[in-house]
Order: sequence, then C-alpha cells, then structure tokens
Amino acid sequence: MNLFFLSILIISAGGILTLLTFRFFPLMKILGVLGIGAGCCIGMLDALSKLSHDGSASASFDYLDTLSLAFQIDGLSAFFLLAIFAVCLLATIYSFDYMSNTGKALGTATNYFFFSLLTASMALVVVAGNMITFMLSWEIMSLSSFFLVVYDHQVLENRKAGYLYFIFSHVGAMFILAAFGVLYSHTGSFGFDAAGMSHAAKMLVFILAFIGFGSKAGVFPFHVWLPHAHPAAPSHISAVMSGVMIKTGIYGILRLYSILNLHTPVLGTMVLVFGVVSGVLGVVYALGQHDLKRLLAYHSVENIGIILIGIGIGMIGVEAKNPIMAVLGFSGGLLHVLNHSIFKSLLFMGAGVVLKKTGTRSIDALGGLLKNMKVTGVTFLVGSLAIAGLPPFNGFVSEFFIYVGSFRGIAVGSPVFAVSLLAIVSLAVIGGLALACFTKVVGVVFQGEPRSRAAHDVNEKGPAMLLPMVILAGACAVIGVYPGGFMFLVLKAVAALGLDYGRIPMEPFARISANITWGATLFLAVLLALLALRRILYQGKTIGRAGTWGCGFTQPTTRMQYTGSSYAASILEFFKPAAPLEEDHPPVLGLFPRQTHYRSHIHDIVELHLNRLVVNPVLWLFDKLRWIQHGDIHLYIGYILLAIVVLLFFVKP
Amino acid sequence: MIESILLWAFALLTAPLFAGIIFKVKAFFGGRKGSPVLINYYTLIKLFKKGSVYSTSTTFIFKLGPMVSLGAAATALLFLPIAGHAPVFSFNGDVIFILYLLGLARFFTIAAAMDTASPFEGMGAAREAYFPIICEASMFMILILFYRLTGDLSFAAYFSGSQPFGLWQTAGSPILFVVIAFFIILLTENARVPVDDPATHLELTMIHEVMVLDHSGPDFGFIEMGAFLKMFFYASIVARLILPFELGNPALNLALFSLGVLIVYLAVGVMESILARYRMDRVPKFVLTSFALAFFATAITLEFLR
Repeated sequence: MNLFFLSILIISAGGILTLLTFRFFPLMKILGVLGIGAGCCIGMLDALSKLSHDGSASASFDYLDTLSLAFQIDGLSAFFLLAIFAVCLLATIYSFDYMSNTGKALGTATNYFFFSLLTASMALVVVAGNMITFMLSWEIMSLSSFFLVVYDHQVLENRKAGYLYFIFSHVGAMFILAAFGVLYSHTGSFGFDAAGMSHAAKMLVFILAFIGFGSKAGVFPFHVWLPHAHPAAPSHISAVMSGVMIKTGIYGILRLYSILNLHTPVLGTMVLVFGVVSGVLGVVYALGQHDLKRLLAYHSVENIGIILIGIGIGMIGVEAKNPIMAVLGFSGGLLHVLNHSIFKSLLFMGAGVVLKKTGTRSIDALGGLLKNMKVTGVTFLVGSLAIAGLPPFNGFVSEFFIYVGSFRGIAVGSPVFAVSLLAIVSLAVIGGLALACFTKVVGVVFQGEPRSRAAHDVNEKGPAMLLPMVILAGACAVIGVYPGGFMFLVLKAVAALGLDYGRIPMEPFARISANITWGATLFLAVLLALLALRRILYQGKTIGRAGTWGCGFTQPTTRMQYTGSSYAASILEFFKPAAPLEEDHPPVLGLFPRQTHYRSHIHDIVELHLNRLVVNPVLWLFDKLRWIQHGDIHLYIGYILLAIVVLLFFVKP
Repeated sequence: MIESILLWAFALLTAPLFAGIIFKVKAFFGGRKGSPVLINYYTLIKLFKKGSVYSTSTTFIFKLGPMVSLGAAATALLFLPIAGHAPVFSFNGDVIFILYLLGLARFFTIAAAMDTASPFEGMGAAREAYFPIICEASMFMILILFYRLTGDLSFAAYFSGSQPFGLWQTAGSPILFVVIAFFIILLTENARVPVDDPATHLELTMIHEVMVLDHSGPDFGFIEMGAFLKMFFYASIVARLILPFELGNPALNLALFSLGVLIVYLAVGVMESILARYRMDRVPKFVLTSFALAFFATAITLEFLR
C-alpha cells in the first residue's frame, strides 16, 4: 500500500509544482511531466506486481470518528490501476510537446495541476474501500476533469460542453449516491458490504448505480456529454478521459456486482441489451460525424457497448451455471477495457497531432496526411485496425473471447440462447460498421490528396508526441499476437470478482490465447512469403509513376475525391430511423447556376428527445419555482430553519 | 498432413481454372465461342511478367493491399477442409478468426482504393464497406446454427469427412436454407451479378473492379489471385453442402468435390447470364434475404433440437 500512496503523493506534488513554477514555462512542463510520469511509473509497477502475485493490500484512516477513509487493492483494482497509470504516463509524455502555447502559461500550469488531480483521483476511485472514500475520489475526478475540459474556455462551444459534462457527471453522481444511500440504510455501515439485504433492495441498488456509472461510462442513452466533452478537451486529456476515465464507470458496475452478489437472470440481460444498443448506435453515430474527435468519442460509446456485452455474457453465464461462459465473458470484457484504453488513447493522440499541425478537426477538410506524417499515419492505422477488431491486433483478441463466451451460451437453454444470439449478431454488425468507419477515417484523413489548404505542407515535429503513439501501437500488436500473458492478468482480475469458482483454471484460456498466437503467426508467415515473392517478381522491372487514372477525365481536382460524408451516406441511409440525417443542399438550377453548398448533420436521437422530454419540462418547473429565489437573506435563513425543524420531525436517530 | 498441404496446393492451383469456367458459361449463353478455359492462367502469367505504374497519390498502403488480400485468402484455405480431408490447421474458433482475417483483407482493399484519391474508387470502396456488413451478420447467424448442430467452432468440424452429411441428417430443411444463404453471400463477397457486374463498362456502376483500377503488374496479379482464392473458398463450402457424400477413397472424394465446385461455378455463370445487376439501393435487400434465411433456419432448429 505504501508504494501506492507514494505514487499518488509524487503525482500530486508534480501538479502543485507546476502551479508554483508557471512563470518558467519549460521548467514547469519538465516538472509536471517528471512528477506525474514518475508517480505513474511507480504506481504501474506496484499494480503489476500485485496483480501477478495475487497480492492485496488495505489501509484505513479515521479522523475524529466522522471521516473514515479506507483503501483496498485487490485483483480488480490492480487491473484498472495498471490501465490508468499506463495511459496517464504516456499522456503526460505526449503533453510535453502538445501543450506548447507559451502565451498561456498559467492555463497550462492549471491544466497540469488538474491533470495530476485527475490521475490521482482515478487511482483512488478504484482502490476506495468504503463509500465515503469512493464518493470523495469520484467527485474530485469529476471536477478535475471538468476543469480540464474547459481548458480552452474562450470558445463558447467548449464552455457549453463543459457545462453539459458537469450536469451529467453530477446527475450521475446523485444516482450513485442514492444507490449508496439505499445500501447504507440496509447495512448501517459505510463499508462495501451487502450482507443480509433483501433481493428487491439489491436490485434497486444495482439499477440506480448502473444509471450513475453508465452516465460516466457513456452507456447509451446516458452518453450525451461524451461527444461534446471529448472534442473540447485538449487531446491528451481526451485520451485519458476516453481511454481510462470512462472505464471507472465500468469498474463501478463490476465492483457493485461483486459486492451485491445478486442472482437473477434479469440483470445480465439488462447489461447485455444496454451494451448491444450502445455498441450498434455508437458506431452508427460515429460513422455520421464530420469532426474527427467527435467521431472517436462516439467510438467510445461503441466500445463501452462491447465491454458491457462481455460483462453481460459473464453475468448470464453465472446465472446459467456455466463457469466457462461466465469467465470468458468477464475476461473478454475486462481485456477489452485494457485494449480500448490502449487503442483509443492512441487514436486520440493521433487526432491531436493532426489537429495541432493542421488546425482543423474537420475530416472532410483533410487528406493525404500519411505522406508527411509517417509515424502518426502508421500508428493511427494500427489503432484503426485494432479498434475495428481485426487480427492480428488486440481489439480482435477481446472480441474473440466475448464471441467464444457467447457461443457457449448458444448451447444452453432457450432464453440464454436468444440473448447470446443477440450478442453474436450485434458484435458482427458492430465489427462491420467499425471497419466501415475506420476505413473512412484513414481513407479520408490520411490517404488521397489534401482537400483544403490546411492539409498542405504539414509536418509532425515533436518527438514527445510521437513516442507514446509508437509505444501504444506496439502494445496493440503485442497483445494481438501474444495475448497469453495479458490473459493471465485479466484472469486474476476476474478471480477478484468473487464468482465462487475457487481458483480459475488457466489451461482452457491459455489454449485459446495460444490459438490466437498460432493463427496470427501463420498469417504473418504467409504475408512474409508473399512479400518475398513480390520482391522476386519486381526484380529488374520498370516502375513508373503517373497521376491517378481518372477514367478518361484528364483534369481532376482534389475536390472531386470522395468525402467522408459521401462515403458514409448509403450506410447511414440504412439506419435512418435511429439516426435521422438533416441535409441542407439548395438545388442546382438554370444554365448558369449560382454557387451551392451541401451541409449534413446526423442527429443523435437521445439529444433530440432529451430536450423535448427532460430539459424543457425541467426548465418549465424551475421557472415556476423561481419565486423562491428572491434575494432576501432573511427568508433564506428562514428556509434553513424550516428545513432543520422538518428534518427533526422525520429523521429517526 | 502432407495430403492436406497437397490439397491446399490443389486449391491454389485450380482456383483460376474454375473462375475461367464462368467465362465459358457466359460465352455459351451469348452464343460465342468464348475465351479458353485457361485464360486466367495466361492473364496471371502476363501480369507477373510486367512492371507497375503507381499513382503519385499513393503510399505504401497501396502496395500492401494486394498482399494482404491474397495472404488472407490463402490463409483461409489453410483452415478449410478441402475435399472433406482434414485441413492443414484447425483450432476451436478458427471460423471467427478466418472471418475477421477476411475482414482485414477488406480493410486493406478499401484502404488501397482510398489511397488513389480517385472519386470512382472511393465510390466502390463505400459500397465494399457497406454490403459485407450484412453478409457478416448472416455468416454469424449460420455459424450459430452450425454451433448448435455440432457444438464446435471450426471449419474442420463442419465440412470434413462425413460431417456435412451429418448436418443434413440432423437438420435437413434448415441446411437447405443455409445453402441458399451461403450462395447469396458468395455472390456478394465475390462481387458477382446481381450484386456487382465484373464485366460492366462504366466505372460508376462497379464495386470491386473499380477499386483496383489503379493496380497494375504483379500487384494486380496478386489481387486477381486473391479474388480467385476467395471465390474458391466460398464455393468449396457450398460444394461440401450440396454434395455431402463421403466415398471412402481420397481420389474419388476429390473428384466429387471438384464436381461440386464445378456446379457452384456453373450456377454463378448461369446467374450472370440470365440476370441483370440490381440497382445499388436494392442490393442490401437482396443480401438481407440471406440473413433472413439463416435466421429462419436457426429458428426452426431451435424447435426440433430441443
């Protein structure tokens, strides 16, 4: 435990030092990066050793009997700690070259300070041993990330995004608090313990907490803040928020599941259905985006969906008394947590380099970046392959485990059969759509010819930005080809869920990992053979270079290229009921038509109906209650007295 | 093992021959003599002898695309039991691996097309990204049915030895649906009429052919070879399902299997001769038919496999 606290201390110290030294810009950044980085390294090594040696630790502090803080590290916490520290470490290295606006020294220092707070609080969330510690860390996490989102507060859009995020994270926190309240009222202690609770109460706790944690994780339909907040935040912050912060929601769901020890088939099905809806609609909305970072944000919704499908399959497996299905589902989901944190932070970092060097996030304004941004382009390509779930990269491994787990469910009984079928078919559809979406991103942003001036003459200077991306891309490939060791870590985390299976046998899972390694190696061998063959075939041949064949048209312009909007149009047409498309295109009329334009926007149905069903009624209600707020301080004191009197009547000691 | 590798080599070597048969069938329906059956070998040899011209817009992905698509198709055949003989490699879950590997090939084919900055290739790429999504869903639907019947997730468990016959015995009528569904997937995945017309003249109306417009020389040869292998892959699945018999003798098995593959290619040729390509917005509905068939097949088995 001491090492853990040491790492938190160093991380916080790094943050505070930046505030003190903001007048010396380079020094400030060095101190910030070194502090946060060193703390993350220590924390990561500690988590890794705990995870591989089944180590667990706990500590608690009491202050005057009113505030008791408890910390507890087990396999599940250590697994999440590993992801958190790894991504934060790389993000902070990345920030060294990314945060280069010397004119905004204090802003940058504040950013480092809140970044250190965010890192520390995320770590504390996953090791919290009681409700008070959990809620305190959770709030620090929400608030610090709010300040990180509004870093560019001069832009109105960013302030709005921050506000939206603030509301969502606090409404979510209220739900979690309500869940904890129910838990406390039954057990009378702040500890994570649900012994002796009635079945109905447990259900209530789980559902309240699922809504709360779901709004943090970005589960559809509580995801509305996500596509607004991620584009607003600086890119390394987006990487951390999307890569690991939203996973604390997943951690919360899993932790509560293990505490409640709830046995009913309904919950697993509920989690799975939420996962399916998030997964499919997340990627459909992503496909319709024009903003690179917004697109990636919607992919977080999709991947949270895949993780929930895994967890749902796991929970259903537990109910169906099918341990292999259960462990496959949970381990697939958890491995996807790690995988997603790797490739999503990689993609956000890549998007950050693109944004920094071109000054635009608009996909349709870019093109041909791969030629001048080799490292960014190649690592982004690797990240795209991984997120599309293609072998031999890591996204495939976790989806493979979830697939195999779901197929186990096919053989069980009728109700389980139906949900497993749903899981399998939706995973297949999600995979296909993600492929379409990332061929669009890679094809339009990095390939072809530049579509606007912004994409001309770019470079990718900034080794501190490129290094983390190379490391992450390497991790994608390593986990994709050799998942065995990572599976070992994941199974330790699954064991900590307390599924009462005793020691989980490694053998069947090691075999699946070995099969993936085998298949990937075989494919790479075939590819190498073809590479050799190609080299022989091209020996001594003439290689010419010419313009692209324009099918007889000799005056092509780069504006004739297919854009991201046109690429996605026909697929979006298919999903029209769930994703209404708004188009603005004055028709071309007459012999000498005037200039026309095309604008399209894909509506998120939740956003569309949220205004009508929730925001407007709430505003109306508050408008009616406005008379309470009149500015007279005497009456305010009267309210407080009244409230105390009423509480004295109702609250039993 | 040796036999499996020999059969794999057989598949690699004869795939272009079978594809040549489609030309013959179309020529027959058109009242022409048609090109020789070995035309595809001549084309491949010609392409491999040539050099290449690359567009100035392209990057390394353009050169990687053909290799990945050929590599994925060749790897896929390593896992498929050819002529009912055990495949070269097999593991539980190899079906998912292979389907995703073919997805990887698709990713790179699309990426190579987008690399050229050609509006036509972008158009083809968008279609190539769209239709296979539905195919994938119906493939997994069929997989669910097969898993229910065999309890396994490998090609070897579905198509080797007397397994296909066993499938027919346990679930005859659903397998009939599956054969039709597979045939539709074959047409879609391999860009045949009525989804795509490989012989059309207008780039605007193509899917697969337009995506490879800029490839030339050995690279284009790789793409052609990859397409032949992919077609052979799907055709041999259908062949094993329509002629599920096990004759006991490897040579006879191979002959029967070749006959089955031949029937599939003939059927594709006949389809191409008597049907026109669908309008692009009709294609999804056509492909969805295969999903519906696979779904009903599974729903039926749910009843009588209780």
